[in-house]
Amino acid sequence: MELLNNLALGFSTALAPVNLMYGFLGVLLGTTIGVLPGLGPVATISILLPITFTLPPEAALIMLAGIYYGAAYGGSTTAILVNLPGESSSVVTAIDGYQMARRGKAGLALATAALSSFIAGTLATVLIAVMAPALAEVALKFGPADYFSLMVFGLIAAVILANGSVVKAIGMILLGVLLGTMGTDVNTGTPRFTFGVAEFSDGIDFAVIAMGMFGLGETIGNLSRKDETNGVLSEVRGLWPSWAEIRSFLAPALRGTALGSCLGMLPGGGPVLSSFSAYALEKKISRKPGEFGKGAIEGVAGPEAANNAAAQTAFIPMLTLGLPSSAVMALMIGALMMQGLSPGPQLLNNNAQLFWGLIASMWIGNAMLVILNLPLIGIWVKLLSVPYRMLYPAILLICCIGVYSLKSSALDVIVATFFGLMGFVFYRLKCEPAPLLLGFILGPMIEENLRRALLISHGSPVVFVDRAISLTFLIMSVLLLIVMIAPAIRTKRDLAFQEEG
Amino acid sequence: MITRRPFVLGLICGGLALGSGLTLSGAATAQDASNYPNQPIQLVVPFAPGGASDFAARLMQNKLSEHLGQQIVVVNRDGAAGNIGMEMAARAKPDGYTLYLGNVGTVSINPHLFPNLTVKPLKDFIPISIVADTPGLMIARPDFPAKNAKEFVEYVKANPGKINFASPGTGSVNRLEMEALQYAQGLKMTHIPYKGGAGPAAADVMGGHVDVMFVTIATAINNVKAGRLKALAATTKERVASLPEVPTMMEQGLTNRPSSSWQGVLAPAGTPKPIIDKVHAAIVETMRDPTIRERMASAGVIAVSSASPEEFMEYIKADSQQWSDIIEKAGIKAD
Repeated sequence: MELLNNLALGFSTALAPVNLMYGFLGVLLGTTIGVLPGLGPVATISILLPITFTLPPEAALIMLAGIYYGAAYGGSTTAILVNLPGESSSVVTAIDGYQMARRGKAGLALATAALSSFIAGTLATVLIAVMAPALAEVALKFGPADYFSLMVFGLIAAVILANGSVVKAIGMILLGVLLGTMGTDVNTGTPRFTFGVAEFSDGIDFAVIAMGMFGLGETIGNLSRKDETNGVLSEVRGLWPSWAEIRSFLAPALRGTALGSCLGMLPGGGPVLSSFSAYALEKKISRKPGEFGKGAIEGVAGPEAANNAAAQTAFIPMLTLGLPSSAVMALMIGALMMQGLSPGPQLLNNNAQLFWGLIASMWIGNAMLVILNLPLIGIWVKLLSVPYRMLYPAILLICCIGVYSLKSSALDVIVATFFGLMGFVFYRLKCEPAPLLLGFILGPMIEENLRRALLISHGSPVVFVDRAISLTFLIMSVLLLIVMIAPAIRTKRDLAFQEEG
Repeated sequence: MITRRPFVLGLICGGLALGSGLTLSGAATAQDASNYPNQPIQLVVPFAPGGASDFAARLMQNKLSEHLGQQIVVVNRDGAAGNIGMEMAARAKPDGYTLYLGNVGTVSINPHLFPNLTVKPLKDFIPISIVADTPGLMIARPDFPAKNAKEFVEYVKANPGKINFASPGTGSVNRLEMEALQYAQGLKMTHIPYKGGAGPAAADVMGGHVDVMFVTIATAINNVKAGRLKALAATTKERVASLPEVPTMMEQGLTNRPSSSWQGVLAPAGTPKPIIDKVHAAIVETMRDPTIRERMASAGVIAVSSASPEEFMEYIKADSQQWSDIIEKAGIKAD
């Protein structure tokens, strides 16, 4: 019953008035910056870091963690309402969430996102409480070869993201991979495709491309359609989903949670990768894959649950090993160090109150987010009744500020504008931006891990089939390819038989 | 919504709302060292939040602001191994309102690695004071056969070309530390570079995927204590107090100089001497603060300050020379 004692300690810590207040402040701030594109948790947490110096450790960590998952939560709001993902992890939510909004189901989409996130947050909290140390061991088992095979699997699955032409999707993925090669080569330090511009030496920021392609591109695209209301129905049905609707998103939310919990622990991908994978999974197993891209509720529930679960399980390697899996987690380690605490295997024993308090606060924070956001949905939806000629300039301006705030770089704004124009071209060509973004994330990771695995094995490719984890993912990749190609072959064969007959 | 964020932030962090980094332009009023500082001072950190430099900056931000009587605003300007932030600071008006948090990488190593770098740190900056000294540890996977660096060298000699070493990047100080050992002892190992800080590299050593690496004590110490990593040597002059059983590289006869990832504050060349001295005095006070010393120590970082700006200059010169020699001898290139 040690677990119950630990959880009791955690909840008594997290429910202490001062911690509760800082937790609320964190999720409130997180939701706010999450709604604003570009302004991410990394910048916010680092600005607040010196202030946490004077706070008790539990309050500091609880507030910063609240900002982090609050931001992941808030990011989906603008994704659904105006197809503008506030955070990179909500890019996928924009696909079907925005379509739901255009069909007048904005309220339902927002409620689905909120409740799926809550389900995921609850289960991920339990998972961390019960299994954190054991899961950290699993994460350590992943070597470069295993990452490579996992990413290959992800890239193949990315094709499923396409709602229209598969050929166009593959083209977009490859374009994304190409864009991802920009920047300094990790192995040799050679600049690639930087055009002699120092600002390009680390490649292009994901948020710059995402905001250009989605935010700016979509805006131009919508304006070119002329009609002022743009098909978004401002009338809204009841905000609380019906029982049938809850049933329809419960299973996807659970699957998304499982997927997100696993991927969240691995460095690099985290919430972004898990939301993409969850979408791909839902589309693949759906009985009506044609609905995806046109406002499928599963396409909102799965990815939203996944990114929230991943945002939480990302704490596992940080809390148990002191290893950050992302920039935000590196900041969390910084926050611990500012408190004079050292993250690592001893944290659990030496600072049990902090450890369990933080875990309990995640669940409380998720509950606060639902309470905070459900009443807000009505207000958010009213935003849609703002005429586009007023809404769009505001969106453009917020996008520009957001992009600029990433690195205080004017060049980033110009680059985002360029991608905005490209986004418009793709919009007209009916090429979807989501596969491009996935290629952009996965491409460099595949390259890095492929080369690293081969360096470690001194050039022997056997390493990819020698390791059980890697082999498993490679077999799954082959199976997935067969599943995707088989219907096409069968159709062709049927045609051939018809011709013979 | 645009005005809402500064409002919310401002609510919490008081005057710190400026920290969004959007507003400061370094516009200087009439230069007068006697009433310096009379406006917020920006401290340029050439790396993203979450790294060692950002940590040092955020930790001393409040105390340094107190001692100077003006708010220090940390501006993260990352990119190109820190060179973008360094150039931005070097080009800023030398009025004391732009300071630069340099480190071993940007100030001592990059000038020798990037031939196209327009900034010459020793000419374009006036060093003020070192602030943080972060010694390194040589760590190995838990089941590695060697117990210390000396045994490690023997092992690599007996197994040439079979050992892999990780590093947080091609031009990182941790890579150069290993290259120096490799060159001095005539070893043959494969370099496995990582990116995104030392975390992913250390995780792969911990998981047994890579054999060995140099890393800051901060990154490794807890996992060494928990037996998840083996510490083979420290890069300090004397043994690290919290790891008394780990020998130093120097006592094992593998090097004759300690090495460190350090951070220090510099100002653009041309900043008036009275201002330099004023900031120096404030930094010395800040780094003496017991809370800062204690919090840095628990993170594996030693809070330090230079006796004078001149002493810091000498320190940088010697450090820069050391890495320049290794880069030249080992034939390392990054551009």
